[in-house]
Amino acid sequence: MVKRISTQIVKQILCASMVVIVMAPIILTLFAALKTKADMVTTSPLLLPEWGRVTFDNFKDVLSDKYLLIGFKNTGIILMVSIFFNVMFGTITAFIIERFEFRGKKLVVSLFFIGMLIPTFVTEIARFQVIQGLGLYNTLGAPIVIYVASDLMQLYIYRQFISGLSVSLDEAALIDGCSYFGLFVKIIFPLLAPATATVCIIKAINIINDMYIPYLYMPKNKLRTLTTFLMDYANAQLGSWQTLAAGIIIIMIPTIVIYVFFQRYILAGVAAGAVKE
Amino acid sequence: MSKLRKKRMQFVITALVVPVILLIVFVVIPAADLFRMSFTNWDGYSKESDIVGFTNYISMLKNKDLWLSLKNNAVYFVIHFFMIAVELGFAVILTGRLRAAKFYKTMVFMPYIINGVAVSYAFSYFFSPINGAFDAVLGALNLEFLIRNWLSDPKIVNYVLSFVSVWRFSGYHVILFMAALQSIPQDVAEAAKVDGANAWQLFKYIQVPGIMLMVDFVLFDNIRGSLQVFDIPFVITAGGPGYASSTFTLYTIKTAFTYSNFGLASTMAVAIMIMIVFIYVIQNKIIHSLILRDRRK
Repeated sequence: MVKRISTQIVKQILCASMVVIVMAPIILTLFAALKTKADMVTTSPLLLPEWGRVTFDNFKDVLSDKYLLIGFKNTGIILMVSIFFNVMFGTITAFIIERFEFRGKKLVVSLFFIGMLIPTFVTEIARFQVIQGLGLYNTLGAPIVIYVASDLMQLYIYRQFISGLSVSLDEAALIDGCSYFGLFVKIIFPLLAPATATVCIIKAINIINDMYIPYLYMPKNKLRTLTTFLMDYANAQLGSWQTLAAGIIIIMIPTIVIYVFFQRYILAGVAAGAVKE
Repeated sequence: MSKLRKKRMQFVITALVVPVILLIVFVVIPAADLFRMSFTNWDGYSKESDIVGFTNYISMLKNKDLWLSLKNNAVYFVIHFFMIAVELGFAVILTGRLRAAKFYKTMVFMPYIINGVAVSYAFSYFFSPINGAFDAVLGALNLEFLIRNWLSDPKIVNYVLSFVSVWRFSGYHVILFMAALQSIPQDVAEAAKVDGANAWQLFKYIQVPGIMLMVDFVLFDNIRGSLQVFDIPFVITAGGPGYASSTFTLYTIKTAFTYSNFGLASTMAVAIMIMIVFIYVIQNKIIHSLILRDRRK
């Protein structure tokens, strides 16, 4: 009994230290964001200033930057369009791969498999010209097309899910005179709703947080996303940690909110997306 | 019957045509093009380029800064590799009976969810030499003598960045291990407990073998991840000072987009892909033989 309690205590201490390590950098950044320029120098970075001196001016500064709004808008557009096509193509591709036999199927499946394996950062060297050649450079089309075409995690989640649906459903629908398309739209797609929810949430987090593709393909000011806005803001605020800290916190908020609300789906989805056959 | 087959075929083709075209244009062609470009001296904008055979491959092997960058990747790899044991430990603790396990589970994955660029700047502040929080922590613990220029001392900067990377990505592995652990059938563990197995034996003989597939995946992910480290050094130090915190991917991207040497950059990209596969195969062989040997005893 004593042994059991002591192991419980050790476990709690380990987990609590983990929480401290996870939270410390975020909380200390928040402290900085709540300080005036003068207090940044005079108070310890580990402490908030006296209660009366806590300021929200840094947040006001960031929020009044017109590019933040533009960043929100662009990120929003990219998010909605990419996720829409990801879900549409993901569900139907997974459905066909799981349920149909056709000539060239092996080839198609292995193409998609290769698509998952190729490292993203370095392929941009070659992808860059394709994007430029199609006139997508410096348009919102560039990130959208890349997120839809090359991030294929959803295929695994959908395939796993579809393989769990009974084939007799398909047969019954077809016998009742349903077309293949009707079968997919009316029966399969609605059944995939839980998987779709997971895919949407995980994609949303990846897209909101992505820095590389917007940075590379959309240098134009008006095409700032949340992340590239922050990079720009950091360059402009050099040395002014309190305002930059406020910017950091604001950029963190959207995905943290999504995470807190949907963590069950996120944790399940991440696990499902990782385990490939 | 043949009418039905025709309908089937029609459906398959209309449904797959767009996704497959997208995949070919934006993934397959670029990947193939990488190989082609690795044998040219293309500069990224000229219409013409010459085939230069293995010149790029040779100059890549002779490039000292690139080797230094690769050594930096190795630091990420080793540190994350040793962290896997810790991650596995946390996963076991969190799947077992534990008060507030749900809260800890939420926390452990938090760093992975938040914006990488925001994280990078937050750590720039954390390790900053003026009013930096980390130096203040050391001060509070009376460890002032340890204070260094965390982000500008070439000897340590790469270790500091590796730590940031561990902070950011370890939770991901914990969650993967937890998912795998939960999928182990309960009755096996119960039976072992009845037979008198202690926690360590349970871990070694039931839990670890039971999640071998996931261990494989995490090991692979570690190779892939540490060879592709990019945004943390890019945002925090831009690879500096000098090449002290540069990484292979960072160097490759710079070679292409800053120095307009797409030929050489493609060669490096091909090298990354080959290294990923190569290290994975070797690591797999070693790890599996270790575990199998243990079991035979």
